[in-house]
Amino acid sequence: MKQGDYKRLSLKILASMILVPVVPFVLVVFVSFHHFAGSLQSTTISSLIRIVDDHRRTIELFLTERKTDLQFVADSFGFDDLTRPALLQEVFRNLQKKSVAFVDLGIFDESGVHIAYSGPYELTGKVYREAEWFKEVIKKGYYVSDVFLGYRQVPHFVVALVKKDKDRAWVIRATIDTLLFNDIVEKARIGKTGESYILNKDGLFQTERRSGGGLMEKDTDGMANLLPHQGTRTFVEKDVAGETYLYATMWLKDNNWLLVVRQEKADAFKALRSATYMVILISILGGFTIVAMAFYMTNRIVTEMRRIDEEKSRLSQQLIVAGRLAEIGEMSAGFAHEINNPLQIIRAEQTLIETIVSEMKEQGELKESEEMEEIEDSLRQIRVQTDRCGGITQALLKFAREKETAPAAVDLKRFLPEVIGLVIRKADVEGIDVQQVVSDDIPLIQVDASQLQQVLVNLLNNAIYAIVEQHGAAGGKLEISAKAAGGRVEIAVTDNGCGISPENIEKIFAPFFTTKPVGRGTGLGLSVCYSIIEKMGGIFGVQSEEGRGATFTIHLPAEG
Amino acid sequence: MREMKIMLVDDEERFLSTTEKVLSRKGYDALTAASGTEALEKLKRHTIHVVILDVKMPGMDGIATLKEIKKLFPLVEVIMLTGHATVDSAVDGLKSGAIDYVMKPCDIDDLLEKAEEAFEKRQRLEEKIRMAQARTYMKSPRDILKQTEES
Repeated sequence: MKQGDYKRLSLKILASMILVPVVPFVLVVFVSFHHFAGSLQSTTISSLIRIVDDHRRTIELFLTERKTDLQFVADSFGFDDLTRPALLQEVFRNLQKKSVAFVDLGIFDESGVHIAYSGPYELTGKVYREAEWFKEVIKKGYYVSDVFLGYRQVPHFVVALVKKDKDRAWVIRATIDTLLFNDIVEKARIGKTGESYILNKDGLFQTERRSGGGLMEKDTDGMANLLPHQGTRTFVEKDVAGETYLYATMWLKDNNWLLVVRQEKADAFKALRSATYMVILISILGGFTIVAMAFYMTNRIVTEMRRIDEEKSRLSQQLIVAGRLAEIGEMSAGFAHEINNPLQIIRAEQTLIETIVSEMKEQGELKESEEMEEIEDSLRQIRVQTDRCGGITQALLKFAREKETAPAAVDLKRFLPEVIGLVIRKADVEGIDVQQVVSDDIPLIQVDASQLQQVLVNLLNNAIYAIVEQHGAAGGKLEISAKAAGGRVEIAVTDNGCGISPENIEKIFAPFFTTKPVGRGTGLGLSVCYSIIEKMGGIFGVQSEEGRGATFTIHLPAEG
Repeated sequence: MREMKIMLVDDEERFLSTTEKVLSRKGYDALTAASGTEALEKLKRHTIHVVILDVKMPGMDGIATLKEIKKLFPLVEVIMLTGHATVDSAVDGLKSGAIDYVMKPCDIDDLLEKAEEAFEKRQRLEEKIRMAQARTYMKSPRDILKQTEES
């Protein structure tokens, strides 16, 4: 794979590693947030409903009690008794003992004249025939008024009741302290802004509102409140100032009063706001964790894939090399054989010439001369060169042949120093520092010792050659190490010599490949080493950086 | 000591002729054969002590020829000449009765040296055979007479 492919792949992995967890994460966060908001709203509304209901009951109970009080008074005393100021005074005091909400008590005749009065004002004799409450109580028999000013010019409301005797009908009326009533209604408090109040049909405040709105003022907010409805109604509406409120309303007192409980939405949803901050914080942390994990995992995956790919390409490279070498081996065996025959003839011809020449010299037919010397030298050269050719073909055949080997247990702790001993003098001469590192736990190996020696000596000689190329006679370093490597033994020869260029490193195991000057090497050494290690069931490898040195590694199966 | 008689067997004509010349110049009596069959043919007609036999030849190859020679002429010593460094084929030759092997390209002097060794060995062997026969003769002159009469 190319570099760009890895980049594309890692982007793909990264994208999926981020997207896959982020989508459910975002879904979870938003769904739970939505549910939380929903349930918060419904909890708030249901608590508003509960408060409305409780209040309705309290208020109705209060009003009913007052009515019962009046009823009791009217039933217990006759008109004549109650019109006696002293008795009325006492009855009123008793009533006040029962409920401080009573401000005054009065008795009226049929025509609305205030016959008797007990309370802080001077109202006796006043005529109420035209008063709204009086008309209503005559009509209905019992009446609770809205809050009004009346003669006294103080907001109040009255509870009145008609008592019908045999001969006449009369009215008993009590005024209720709005302040006290206010307290009962206002008692409901939810959060910071929760409040409750009562409006009449026309939208006038019957009790004070905490957030503003005095008695008998017009409620300018939420006109929708006044729609007639059964039971409890809830809704959300903005007030004139633009603040959104949650409302719960209920009609009381024969649909004359509307009990309103409301709370600012922002206040009710305060918990939601902190939840929002939490969600944002979690989202950021979670997102960051996901992204970081994705980067980390992607990096790991791609690195691992790259490592595997490299391993694979190295392996296939090795296979290619091995295949090519096998081919070359077969070819060179045939080739060497074919060359040997003509070489043999050349050798025979040379011997014949030599024989003839020496015979002729013996017989005096040839005189010693400079030319003669040249001819003899030339004949010697022919012999030397055919010998050289013979050497090459022998080496080639050695590379190709399947020699019988004599494997035996080899202890590298003893074996390596022996091998190094063979080249140490040469290394000393070249000023090379030779190190050997053999780990103590190294297992025995089952190989032909002479073959392994041949391979190692070849590698050491190559290393010395490379070091001299690079450093001359000082500064060379050569390390031979052996260690156990997972059921195998790894022998490594590392030098700091001239190294091998990338284009050469592919060819170094091929026969006849050499970088040495003509005559210094046949290019068969490493190929023979390669085939020897191959036949031992080992792996022969090389790593090098040009100009920095090279490491040849031999992996051999450990014994047992 | 009798003169050593050598026969060279190789499919390379020029090698045969040149080597023959060299050998005769060195005072050896050498025969040549270009194939296994020709070699066997010549062995029947001539007394030959040492055969130098190329392993790889067309037709009847070296090993087959060797086996045939050893069957028909057990006393003839054979040196295998191999162009193949595969020691295996040389080993095959030795197992089939060759006395030695030489790798191509080889020096004719080396070849001669090995041939001489082989010849000496053969001489000793023949000597032993002669001695053994002589002992039989000496055992009883009558027997000898008997034998002579019979033959």
